[in-house]
Amino acid sequence: MEKSGVKCLFTIVLLLSAMVWTAGAGPQGTLRVATTTMPNAIDLPMGSERNAHNVAWQIYNSLVWIQDDGKVGPSLADSWTVSEDGTTYTFKLRKDVKFHNGEPFNADAVVYTWNRGKQDSMQWKEKFAVAKSVEKIDDYTVRVTTEGPSPLLLRIMAEFWAIIPPKHHQKVGENGFLNHPIGTGPFVFKEWKKGDRIIFEANPNYWEEGYPKVKTLVFRPIPESSTRLAAISAGEIDIVTRLSSEEAKSLKNRKNVKLISYTVDRVYYITFNNLTSGKGKPTENALVRQAMNYAVDVDAVIDALFDGYGRPATGYVTPGNWGYDEEIQPFGYDPEKAKKLLAEAGYPDGFEMDFACPSGAYNNFEQVCEAVQGYLGAVGVKTNLNLMESGKYWDLEAKKQLPPLFGDSWSEATGEALPRLKGALGGKNANFSAWSDPEIDRLLEEIGKTVDDDARAKLYVELQRYMQKNPPFIYLYEPVAFEGINPGVKDYRPRPAENYYLKYTSIDS
Amino acid sequence: MQRYILSRLVQSAGILIGVLLIVFFMLQMTGDPVSLMVSRNASPEQVEALREELGYNRPVMVQFFDFFTDALTGDFGMSLRHRQPSLKLILDRLPATVELAATALMFALVIGVPLGLLGGSNPNSFWDIMARGAGLIGQTIPNFWLALILIVILSVHLGWFPTFGRNTWSLFGLTLPTRSVVLPAFALGLFTTGQIVRFVRSAVLEIKNEDYVRTAYSKGLSDRNIYMRHILRNASIPLISIIGVQFGYLMSGSIYIETIFSWPGLGNLLAEAIGNRDFALVQAIAFFTSLVVVALNLLTDVAYGLADPRIRYGD
Amino acid sequence: MMEIAKGTGLRIDRAPNTGIRAKAAYVCKLLWRDKTGLAGLIIVLIVITAAVFAPFLSPYDPLQQDLRSAKTPPAWTEEGDMDHPLGTDNLGRDILSRIIYGTRVSLTVGFFGVLIACSIGMVIGLISGYVGGLTDNIVMGLVNMILALPYLVFVVFIAAILGRSLLIVILIFGFTDIPIFVRITRGEVLRIRESGYIEAARSIGAGNGRIIFRHILPNLIGPLITIATFEMSAMIFYEAGLGFLGLSVPPSVPSWGNMLSTGRQYLTIYPWIATYPGLAIVFTGLGMNLLGDWFRDVLDPRLRRIKR
Repeated sequence: MEKSGVKCLFTIVLLLSAMVWTAGAGPQGTLRVATTTMPNAIDLPMGSERNAHNVAWQIYNSLVWIQDDGKVGPSLADSWTVSEDGTTYTFKLRKDVKFHNGEPFNADAVVYTWNRGKQDSMQWKEKFAVAKSVEKIDDYTVRVTTEGPSPLLLRIMAEFWAIIPPKHHQKVGENGFLNHPIGTGPFVFKEWKKGDRIIFEANPNYWEEGYPKVKTLVFRPIPESSTRLAAISAGEIDIVTRLSSEEAKSLKNRKNVKLISYTVDRVYYITFNNLTSGKGKPTENALVRQAMNYAVDVDAVIDALFDGYGRPATGYVTPGNWGYDEEIQPFGYDPEKAKKLLAEAGYPDGFEMDFACPSGAYNNFEQVCEAVQGYLGAVGVKTNLNLMESGKYWDLEAKKQLPPLFGDSWSEATGEALPRLKGALGGKNANFSAWSDPEIDRLLEEIGKTVDDDARAKLYVELQRYMQKNPPFIYLYEPVAFEGINPGVKDYRPRPAENYYLKYTSIDS
Repeated sequence: MQRYILSRLVQSAGILIGVLLIVFFMLQMTGDPVSLMVSRNASPEQVEALREELGYNRPVMVQFFDFFTDALTGDFGMSLRHRQPSLKLILDRLPATVELAATALMFALVIGVPLGLLGGSNPNSFWDIMARGAGLIGQTIPNFWLALILIVILSVHLGWFPTFGRNTWSLFGLTLPTRSVVLPAFALGLFTTGQIVRFVRSAVLEIKNEDYVRTAYSKGLSDRNIYMRHILRNASIPLISIIGVQFGYLMSGSIYIETIFSWPGLGNLLAEAIGNRDFALVQAIAFFTSLVVVALNLLTDVAYGLADPRIRYGD
Repeated sequence: MMEIAKGTGLRIDRAPNTGIRAKAAYVCKLLWRDKTGLAGLIIVLIVITAAVFAPFLSPYDPLQQDLRSAKTPPAWTEEGDMDHPLGTDNLGRDILSRIIYGTRVSLTVGFFGVLIACSIGMVIGLISGYVGGLTDNIVMGLVNMILALPYLVFVVFIAAILGRSLLIVILIFGFTDIPIFVRITRGEVLRIRESGYIEAARSIGAGNGRIIFRHILPNLIGPLITIATFEMSAMIFYEAGLGFLGLSVPPSVPSWGNMLSTGRQYLTIYPWIATYPGLAIVFTGLGMNLLGDWFRDVLDPRLRRIKR
């Protein structure tokens, strides 16, 4: 006892002097982040959703990354060039980077990462398969080629191509890697208590000078939202994400919690169907679809259910996306016009239709659907609303067996709306699509081939205007995210896709 | 005795085969997990390919046979979401659940047995009212509701306990619980406490009227003596079976409590798996918990037999 | 209570007098003597009255939203008013009205769940106990198997698969609860068979039908009513649990479980939204358990132990 007391005292003195000596220099303190689900893997091609990816990106780097201003910037690649035809990218790699286990980072690692990522067993293999080949030119030069021009390649690389150390991965195999992932990132994997916590430590040899700022990073899964609220109130957690507006309001008066909010790159909508269940229904008529957009008072829904936090959706391209049309306006609430349009389309007395929404998936979405049902009823469109458990719902959605009218939402992490557009409007070729329109198909194909940014932006604008006249959805809203942080947390910069990089973040203790 | 144990073993094996059947065919009703495994941008061809790869397009009976033989060899399949063997995921979570269930059972025994004894031996006294009250409370207060209220009052307002999670400390390589287990274990053990109070109380009331106790009283033995020699001993034998059953209940019934407290145990894993429609994992958890419950029942029955010589195992 | 608890064997069928009126008077006397049983009966009657006369008793339509007066605190707090005695929920629906209507969901689930379980379970138990032999072995094997399953895990599992509707919830509870009733019925049948007076009845020429209806069924009523009361309370409890996980009736339906599920999000901010439905569950459970205890003591002291 005595001995340990002395030891303890000694440690304190040592720590104190170390603190004085390094004040403001090295990484300090512990940052505790609550996640809403349990990450299934700390590994990009295997991580099943946003939380898993957010955790994983703290220990990896890709060749490029998306900067705070939304542009693609250099990371493990110093620079890169694109060929005339837009199919060949040549990357110059950094020479001073080592993996956490000391393995050097070089072209072999990039090739290895790509080869592994595109295997069939990987959940996100198509994010690697966008490249036709990845070749080593020399130790620090890599050439990536694509089938056709692929304007989103760099963004996809920034989101998924986390470079892993080949020797280590080969040695321990997939399972070993799962239990002890290694990258080049600002943090080093330390411990994973399944279902309980994930612990990272600052990488002392991180290649970006001066980062990271915190010494220890702890992720704790708290699926229950009331418990998350309790945990931040009690000061047991420094960052909680995905609060509802009401929960955020309840934290307003707490001195130990600071609130932040931002618009999320996610669109909520009610989609029409012209592929399966909606065939031959009145909603195949564009006037009817316009009418149904005019019939719903989106502003009132946002006011009532989200305390006014949210933005009426203007289409499927959000203001943060490349090519957003500044002039576009939401439909607005105009029930008279809706009735007129319905009459014009040949349905003066309205019609009846089945309608489905997922339950338990999104904040207040059940109530939103109930409200939409009410508004549609007011102009004569009687809907039979069926709320389904979300898992089953998405299963039916993928099989295209949902009713002709159904609600959902779609987020986008790359900063461009193309994947979302393709996913929801790709007709029979896309799993979660219920809509097909030759003109939309044509524009999407064009966008997918156009590497020139300005030309692509023009095509996006054209598409948005077309989708206003021929709406495949009832456009609802883009939500506002609320997060609660400990006031001592500095430089926490969540992004519209609800992702974050914690290398800048520091904490005052 | 040996014949009894053998027949109970056979019976348990039969139960487990039945469980396998139920679990498997229930999952067949859930539809196909594949569409949930692919990203939203995948094409129908990719989905079909994955379905093929994972064997979901084979005839049902073939799938069942595979599932069955794998389960016999201890292979409970792979979790779709984690892409890891389900058994490994389960075993990772098991210590937390055992800690929680054991602590809850301990609470239940420490509160339940004395209260039941006091209540049963002095009917209609203050202690009896307490005992009957505790029995009722355990049976009528929803534990998940109580859990939320406990968090708000004891953790957020008073700060006595952590609001969530499991913290442990190590001593000589042993992992030991900390006060983080107190609230979840109390909430979880509430129902069991009620059951044990009720059980002990009525057992005492019943035994008091047995002939041998009356004889003991008439012989002029002291209260204390009678309690130790007769009542406690005779009540403790059936208590064994209650404890076995309740432990099984606590191990499998912690889904609400573990979710609310973010307790990293099996119930939490189950809630997560159901939420993600990770059916292979749900299947494995359901089978594994059944296995635990069946094994506990078997053990209690055998222990019960060993403890009570009056029970013969003829049929 | 005391005499009964001590096992002196006061039972209805030994009532000192014959005739329905005398029996009823005797039951009333027993109830009056046992105040807790009386309290249980009163509580249960209150709940039933609330369910039957819900439209007349509730001040508002339970589905009527009024976003302007959302989250009004209960009347006894400073900001509350008598318009909404127990306050309103997140969509401005009146909590008192929802709790009153919630009795309907709870009682429907409890009553029909028990009805299904009890009627099917009784028939199977009768057959199993009466016929015996291989049938009995198979039935009891199945019953033991189902009872050995981790109940909650399976109920949650089934509910997650089948989706949210009142009918599905009733069917789940009804079918998963059959084994309890099979076991009780079979046990009673075996006991009666052993007692030897069936042989006596048979020896004077009674047929199977007569034996079942005249000798076995009347003896079953007591234990079945007792267990049914407890099971009903358990089903109400579990319905709330499923609702809490978002797996019970559709979200707009005013059920206590759904109210708890909504309210828990606001527990730290607007605690009354979850507190009152929770209290309603406790209140109802209390009533049913007190009544069940009383039934058990009066109708059949031997049943004291048989309870999941």
